[in-house]
Amino acid sequence: MIASPSSPGLAAAALIDPKALMGIRNLELRARVVVEGFWKGLHRSPYHGFSVEFTEYRQYTPGDDPRYLDWRVFARSDRYFIKKFEDETNLRCHLLVDQSRSMGYGSAGVTKAQYAATLAATLAYFLHLQGDAVGLLTFDEQVREYLPARHRTGHLRQLMLSLEKPAGGRATDLTAPIERITGLVRKRGLVAYLSDFLAPIERLEPGLTALTAAGHEVTVFQVLDPAELTLNLEQAAMFEDVESARTIYIDPVQARKEYIPRIEAHCAAVRATCQRLGISYHRISTDQPLELALFEFVQGRQRRGRLGRPGATNRS
Amino acid sequence: MSFLAPLFMLGALAIAAPIVYHLIRRTTRERTVFSSLMFLGPTPPRLTHRSRLEHWLLLLLRCLALGLLALGFARPFFRRTAPNEAATGQAKRIVVLVDASASMRRTGLWADARERVAEVLRRAGPADQVAVFTFGRQVRSVVGFEEWKAALPDARPALASQRLAALAPGWDGTHLGNALIRAAEALSDADTEAKTPPGPREIVLVGDLQAGSALDSLQAYDWPKGIALRIEALKAHNLTNAGLQLVADSPDADQRAAATVRVRVSNAADSTREQFRVGWLRADGADFAGPAVDAYVPPGQSRVMAVPVPTNAAGLQRIALRGDDEDFDNTVYVMPPEKQSLSVVYYGADAPEDSHQPLFFLQRALPDNPRLSVKASVHAPSAGLSPVERQQARLFFVTEALEAGPAAELREQLLGGKTVVFAPRSASAAATLGQLLGTAGVAVEDVQPKSYAMLSEIDFQHPLFAPFADPRYSDFTKIHVWKYRRIAAAAVPGARVIAKFDSGDPALLEIPVGKGRVLALMTGWNPEDSQLAVSSKFVPLLYEMLEYGAGLSSQAAQVSVGDPIAVPTVDAAGGTVAVRRPDGTTTTLAAGAANFTDTLQPGIYQLNVGSRTVSVAVNLDAAESRTSPLPPDQLERYGAPGAEPVRDAAREARREALMQGTEAESRQKLWRWFLGATMAVLLIESALAGWTARRQATNVTAGGISP
Repeated sequence: MIASPSSPGLAAAALIDPKALMGIRNLELRARVVVEGFWKGLHRSPYHGFSVEFTEYRQYTPGDDPRYLDWRVFARSDRYFIKKFEDETNLRCHLLVDQSRSMGYGSAGVTKAQYAATLAATLAYFLHLQGDAVGLLTFDEQVREYLPARHRTGHLRQLMLSLEKPAGGRATDLTAPIERITGLVRKRGLVAYLSDFLAPIERLEPGLTALTAAGHEVTVFQVLDPAELTLNLEQAAMFEDVESARTIYIDPVQARKEYIPRIEAHCAAVRATCQRLGISYHRISTDQPLELALFEFVQGRQRRGRLGRPGATNRS
Repeated sequence: MSFLAPLFMLGALAIAAPIVYHLIRRTTRERTVFSSLMFLGPTPPRLTHRSRLEHWLLLLLRCLALGLLALGFARPFFRRTAPNEAATGQAKRIVVLVDASASMRRTGLWADARERVAEVLRRAGPADQVAVFTFGRQVRSVVGFEEWKAALPDARPALASQRLAALAPGWDGTHLGNALIRAAEALSDADTEAKTPPGPREIVLVGDLQAGSALDSLQAYDWPKGIALRIEALKAHNLTNAGLQLVADSPDADQRAAATVRVRVSNAADSTREQFRVGWLRADGADFAGPAVDAYVPPGQSRVMAVPVPTNAAGLQRIALRGDDEDFDNTVYVMPPEKQSLSVVYYGADAPEDSHQPLFFLQRALPDNPRLSVKASVHAPSAGLSPVERQQARLFFVTEALEAGPAAELREQLLGGKTVVFAPRSASAAATLGQLLGTAGVAVEDVQPKSYAMLSEIDFQHPLFAPFADPRYSDFTKIHVWKYRRIAAAAVPGARVIAKFDSGDPALLEIPVGKGRVLALMTGWNPEDSQLAVSSKFVPLLYEMLEYGAGLSSQAAQVSVGDPIAVPTVDAAGGTVAVRRPDGTTTTLAAGAANFTDTLQPGIYQLNVGSRTVSVAVNLDAAESRTSPLPPDQLERYGAPGAEPVRDAAREARREALMQGTEAESRQKLWRWFLGATMAVLLIESALAGWTARRQATNVTAGGISP
């Protein structure tokens, strides 16, 4: 779960309320605001200086490319070492954004779709600033938009436009977009997966497995509405499922007792699956500032970089 | 405040609906879209706790609207003492008509009637004027208006009840129509005498309202306005009632049939039994004198059966029916009919066996039968009457011109009260008519119509034609007249034209001469003149002439209780007639009385006329046996006002109150105000609800944005 605003590294004053942020109509502008705020906060953070450049030294073994020998080390220690670098220029990040109808739900002025789009835009902007190639795939029951990962002028704008398109789908089907992305993206890269994951775990797991199996580094953002987590609705009413249009009578006061353990169990199951598959999992509530999500993302990336997880490739 | 339809107040129970609605309102009104229901299960609707009852004012308004609506539908009105209340206190005139006919002799009915009358009298106010009449065939006053007024108010009901207790139902028929007319007239007369504007007037009819009630007289009566009719119908204790009536023997019945008497057994429609026994009763009335006849009569039907006369029939006068619950109509009195003999004289020159001559038909039309023997003597136009004929002959037929002697003799007979049927075969007989009438000459001429003449313009009011008045028998046009004699009726003083030919000439005239009369038939019945003799009308017409002209008493008519008994003609002038009633009492009729009218009970009446004793059986009116109740609308059909049986004073009062309430309600129309108030409350409610909803929406929005 994403850290609360009081967590070290990000001052609470610097964070922007998502509802206020959604007041900015331009998605790119929104993303810029978040990222800039993030930079400000980052300077006060103890985790300064992150890079995807250098990872480690390795002893030269015959067969290695002699071009990557570190001659300075050799000069000091008279040993051959090979310098290993992160493949920073070729980092390809694909943003998978769920735009199904369930994402259209929002109890506190911000829908999950809006939030996810802003988060995706923020990530895209951030990565773009770093010079990484960013791609986008939006989907509901089928793939809606696909932009391959690129880093070129105008690409970011196109990506923002795609994100701004309203969600129109009804149901969520993960298989089609996953198949598509595994089919299209042969090169291993980073996949940021933004969805509410409100589907049975057995339906979610194959997709995530497929993604990791394709060698991608997967980061999952489970975007949920606070009402979905706590069912803090007052009025008893006929509840209608946005995706299936099924209607049942629910009195939240009575239903809450059973609902909260269930959704928590579901989230725990998703998290456990992610852990098992080596996927970094972040649960975000739409009332949380976006900077926190971005911070989590970067922090996670940094940790992984240190651990030398897949994606860190030899420059050779 | 009172209510016309208080049941609608139950609608106010609907107030519970908004209260419950306010309690569970949250269950159904909202429709919330939620991202996924996969973690949710349906929850049962829940009544929010009482303390959570929201929107008190709205609830109050909704309840008020429903309450007002219910009140409006209950049709409220203010019961005011209406100004016409005093009018209802106005003196009421009531005629209580008590049925005292024979059918009221049934078990318990008379006691019920007296009780019912007592109740009606008790209900009468001190200012009311009441008259009590009983009726059967006649209407008899028990207590008149004047007597009622003269008595002390407290003693009035007792007076009438006592008088009524002294009475018992008679034996006569139920002439209900006459009684109602009489009562209505009594009410009208009382108003006229009092010279006051007529107040409420009412006829209370207490009786069994049997189907055999005679209502015909009501048909021609114009029921006065403002007279109400109330029926206190009495219910019979025993349903089964079979009646016995004598059926007249046909005059041409064969001689063996004389050994039986035919009776009709009729069973009332609501009877429960159908097996009866009929037979001659012994003189002491205890048992049947001979073998009885079994009679099977289903309810509502009647059977005619022959009861054999026992061999030792002397002294037997009654045939009785056994097996019936009600006894009053189970006996008929039977007297062997007396054979009447009559002497007629025919003046004419025709041979008796000549089938072209009038005499031929006359003799064959008047055969001997067990009831009547007609002795016809034929005289030549020149022959005079014998002394016996002069005394006994009552009807004379003249078809030829008479010589002066016989004509003068006949005129003498005419003046003494005899009847002459003058049917001239030619105009030459005109002189004889003149001689009979005592006028100089009557112009008569022969007429031979081109094809034929018919009888038309017949005066069916005249006794001669009265039996033909029924449309079934009144067609005389089939009788073709080939030849007739024309007479100027205007030239004959006192002549009454009874029938005319279609040409307008008189066909039959009645000309009074002294005490007698001449019936001038201007065509003959012989085939040469007309088809009259071969038509079905000839014999009945001839018998009518015998009855009318020769005083032949009608044999067919039975004498019912209340019918007058015709006193046999007293030959010796000045003789008195003593009548012995069935109960043994005797009375003497005044000299010259034609009828004995005091036949109040069934039985054998003996009339002693000079040396002769004539016994006449008087029986119950056959209609009295029809004891099943009259159809409820029958009286209305006969023009009486809508009679409704009123049994219950409380119900009457309620009905009255309801009527007054309806009137007051329709005048006040309070429901409009209630409906208006409901609308106003609903408007306020809508406005308030709208305002509340808006405020709630604003609160939600504001609360949602705030951190």
